[in-house]
Amino acid sequence: MDDHSPRDDAQALAPTPAPRVYETPPKDRPITDAEAARAAQLAANEHIKIASGYLRGGLADGLLKHATGAISEDDGQLVKFHGMYMQDDRDLRPERTKKKLDKAYSFMIRLRIAGGVISPQQWLALDDIAVTYAGSALRATTRQTFQYHGVIKSNLKRTMAAIDGALLDTIAACGDVNRNVMAATNPAQVGAHGAAHRLAKDISDSLLPKTSAWREIWLDGERVVGGEEEEVEPVYGRTYLPRKFKIVVAVPPSNEVDIFAHDLGFIAILDKNNQVTGWNVTVGGGMGMTHGEPETFPRTADVMGFVAPEDAIKVAEAVMTVQRDWGNRKNRKNARLKYTIERYGLAAFRAEVETRIGKTLGEPKPFTFTNNGDRFGWTEGDDGRHHLTLYVPSGRIKDYEDGPQFLTGLRTIAQVHEGDFRLTANQNVIIANVPTEKRAAIEALVDQYGITKGAGALRRNSIACVALPTCGLALAESERYLPDLMTELEESLATHGLAEEEITIRSTGCPNGCARPFIAEIGLVGRGPERYHLYLGAAFDGSRLSKLYKEDVAASDIRDTLDPLFADFAKGRNPGEHFGDYLIRAGHVARTVNGPDFHDRTGALKPAGHA
Amino acid sequence: MARQNLLPRTAPFGDGERASLDAVLGAATPVQRAWLAGFLAAFDAAGGQPAAAPSAPPKAAEPLTIVYASESGNSEALAGNVAKLARKQGFKPKVVDFSDLDIASLPKAGKLIAIAATWGEGEPPARAVRAYGELMGEGAPRIDGVDFAVLALGDTSYVEFCAIGKALDARFEALGGKRAAERADLDLDFEKPAADWIKNTLKALAPAETPDNVVAVDFARAAAGEDDEAEPSREPVVVEVVEHVNLNSSRSDKETIHLALAFEDGAPAYEPGDSLEIFPENDPQLVDEILNAAGLLGDETLRQALLAERDITTLSAATIERFVKATGHADAQTLIDSGEARAWIEGRHLIDLLATFPATLTAEHLNTITRPLPPRAYSIASSRKEVGDEVHLAIVAVRYETHGRARSGVASVHVADRIRDGAKLRVRVKPNRHFRLPQDPATDIIMVGPGTGVAPFRAFVQERRAIEAPGRSWLFFGDRHFLHDFLYQLEWQEALEDGSLTKIDVAFSRDQPEKIYVQNRITHNAQELVSWLEGGAHFYVCGDAKNMAKDVRAAVVRAYEIAKSLSPADAEAQVAALERSHRYQQDVY
Repeated sequence: MDDHSPRDDAQALAPTPAPRVYETPPKDRPITDAEAARAAQLAANEHIKIASGYLRGGLADGLLKHATGAISEDDGQLVKFHGMYMQDDRDLRPERTKKKLDKAYSFMIRLRIAGGVISPQQWLALDDIAVTYAGSALRATTRQTFQYHGVIKSNLKRTMAAIDGALLDTIAACGDVNRNVMAATNPAQVGAHGAAHRLAKDISDSLLPKTSAWREIWLDGERVVGGEEEEVEPVYGRTYLPRKFKIVVAVPPSNEVDIFAHDLGFIAILDKNNQVTGWNVTVGGGMGMTHGEPETFPRTADVMGFVAPEDAIKVAEAVMTVQRDWGNRKNRKNARLKYTIERYGLAAFRAEVETRIGKTLGEPKPFTFTNNGDRFGWTEGDDGRHHLTLYVPSGRIKDYEDGPQFLTGLRTIAQVHEGDFRLTANQNVIIANVPTEKRAAIEALVDQYGITKGAGALRRNSIACVALPTCGLALAESERYLPDLMTELEESLATHGLAEEEITIRSTGCPNGCARPFIAEIGLVGRGPERYHLYLGAAFDGSRLSKLYKEDVAASDIRDTLDPLFADFAKGRNPGEHFGDYLIRAGHVARTVNGPDFHDRTGALKPAGHA
Repeated sequence: MARQNLLPRTAPFGDGERASLDAVLGAATPVQRAWLAGFLAAFDAAGGQPAAAPSAPPKAAEPLTIVYASESGNSEALAGNVAKLARKQGFKPKVVDFSDLDIASLPKAGKLIAIAATWGEGEPPARAVRAYGELMGEGAPRIDGVDFAVLALGDTSYVEFCAIGKALDARFEALGGKRAAERADLDLDFEKPAADWIKNTLKALAPAETPDNVVAVDFARAAAGEDDEAEPSREPVVVEVVEHVNLNSSRSDKETIHLALAFEDGAPAYEPGDSLEIFPENDPQLVDEILNAAGLLGDETLRQALLAERDITTLSAATIERFVKATGHADAQTLIDSGEARAWIEGRHLIDLLATFPATLTAEHLNTITRPLPPRAYSIASSRKEVGDEVHLAIVAVRYETHGRARSGVASVHVADRIRDGAKLRVRVKPNRHFRLPQDPATDIIMVGPGTGVAPFRAFVQERRAIEAPGRSWLFFGDRHFLHDFLYQLEWQEALEDGSLTKIDVAFSRDQPEKIYVQNRITHNAQELVSWLEGGAHFYVCGDAKNMAKDVRAAVVRAYEIAKSLSPADAEAQVAALERSHRYQQDVY
């Protein structure tokens, strides 16, 4: 994209918007009294939070119910704040009842790794946990962290103790809190990466829930006798946030962290020496929506202003607490910050943030993003250290039968590596800070275990969420299906001379958006078994949402739907023009300005294959 | 036929009556006459009604003590048979379980029959361990003047065949007893030879002359029936399989078949704790391999016999001897002569013998070499009060490989692979009076049943639910993996919900780095467990005899040590006391 923010872009190209009328923001702090919450008809999760005693609920007792691998429904909501989701193996569901077995419950455990940086010692500890308790697989996620799948209830405490032993935790990795803070990995820009990582870490620490419930429940820690509410959770209070809250830190020109897809973002503004002079602040991005409910929509973030480095954490806390107080607690489908900003307006929101930090924000500084993918292979940092970005299909670090040995290979590398590891927001892994003299040895191990340093252009730009069999929300396959679809599409692209064309493609099993499908040039969102909504027309750099191009496409028809569009693109594109931009210019699909018009003018605007 | 006029003409009977009585009494044995005298005395004492007890006991019949050491119930059943027949022949039999045996009473036994099973690698049945140990120990009393006979049960597929019976036989002699009849060592097909042995032995033990001409007849016993529980028929019944499902998940490396069997004419009167014997069929593929090895392919009659009637897997030293006798095979003879036969049969079956020592056999040969195919017993997993005219079983499919051949349990794999819904099976109830719920439904129960050992406890819980037993119940279950091997998981959840199960502790050995077994859970819960036991709870163990049952017992001893700060010896005494009072019961195999 050119040198402007997406909002500028939208304003330049959109028709004059009708004047918006915004609601008046609330004055009071959130309701924390059970009676009052009922009277106000707050969402069910608000009652659970109020009753939980700062995230304790019935978890300790639930762990002692030996006949079931599950915990209660309410505790299932609370356990998210501790970094886990209760799931069950959906592949096994059909046989279980007949066999007089309960659902095959297990837990997904997500770590909190701010900025995605871990040491080789931590890697080895996490590997050991994977082998011992989690089916010998680590899953690098789209939130720049690891998650484990398939940990059974009786092993939860052991697993948490082992994670604690690696000086890591899972606090607030899920739930209505600030989740794992992402930061640019930017191996080539050592100074900027350092600043981004530090900011991510500082935000993560300062916005971490303070309740001792996690230690008590999982590590048999002593219960810290609670004082006044303000002392237990001075920032969050008894009811935490209305909904999940996601923060990222980007360093241009790479938008690898997908800044526009998150509630709050910081874009590094660099001087000529690549030093950070301050941050542009973005607010109100988010992916999730619900099929068939047009009042739910994905939204790209607005650039709200500029902040000096020393004020960044204050701004982060202020943005989060305004959302804490203004966010909708009656309807969880309308609770993310993006809806708060749509309801009260960016101006009012910004004014409240400025009131809370006691100063005004500067005007946004110019910045340029070129892409939202990773740079595969070796890069050299400006300090002379080397970084190897590996391509990890769907982030799944395991040993493939007759294929790459990601788990064993990376374990072996961790045993000799002196630098660190970085996880990327695109589910890949960087072996970072390799001294020149060690580069050959690392390279040899990577090759020995068949670990991939890259892939075809489409795969390099792909993300898939986990979906089936573990995710309870999935309506269709994602991680297990996308590789096969990409094989089909690669054939199609090759016939049009587009084999090396960089096109972002992302799939999710449901519309909640974990793989950020609505800002991919090709987005597939599960609708039902082997059926997907096909979204097209997003920007390659992640700054513009896509549009529903075709509803409810059978998996077997996806290639045939895209093939004529590839043909048109190959013939009609301008030099350097990306697929998503072309489809809009050529009139195949309407441009989405932002969330509120996401559901307008959907569908193919003209027949494909006639360019 | 010579007729003796026994009654004098002065007897108060008419001529016809007198002739009739002469016809009976004249041909009667002294024992029969003595019995009749006792009968009539007791009849009069009861005022013309079968009496609770004769008011003036007539002269005593010959006392006979029958002791048995039983694991699966066979020895016990035979002891009952002995008693029945002995009573008819004028003895006054007393049947004593080894678990209740006071060895100090043996010198006064007068006449003694011991029926003993041998378990595993030459061990006494679990319930018999204490008394057997005492009898073999230095403190055993002399039994001079006691006439004894021993019937030994065993399984020739084990090396130490009938070891316990043999040891008892020698021990009684060493203690001064007089062997009244030669010991018989019987294999799995014991029923016929056992009946013969019993008949002959009772004859040998019978006094030459009836010592007195009046025999005591116990009408109380006759009126109440022989036993506390009606004995179900020994005749096999054909049942229909109405549910056949593998309880383990498709990700499990185990296969446990839940079978629901429907009895067309009403289920037999089984009780929770009883077993059901299944008459299996052999693997047709193995039958064909054997026919092929023997050069007898095509003999359809033989094939049918091998399928349903002969034990074509077991290989014992005796099998090899019979094989050599039939074939004169020199190499097989060498194997015996070298003394290596015992080691060689380890892990091998009949097919290995036939494959290793090729010989052309006749159908007759195969009949001689093999034993009859015995039924296999499985603990019943249901209560009639809940399932009506059905019996449920949980059967783990036994599959393994030895010497390069896939092996399979005859009955379990027959059920797993060749039986489906709608199939028919021949079955027979096998009672187990030593594995019974407490009489009082208010008594607490603790059940330890890993793997298919949980089967009878499903019956227990069903029964106690049906009768709304107020007593608490606590189940210890274990297997390999929580997700894939938790037998009847949904049912336990329901039972916890409705209160028919109070508490469950589980041990899944392969879910974590270190192995966790039920015995670990027992010691973990030492305080509570002992408090239940001190409150009168009954303790039940079902499953593997070789390791689990012993480890569980040791864990209960350990629990007493922990909970009561007892020395190992004192804790052991607590558990021994539980056993003696029949509050520690085992059904192990």
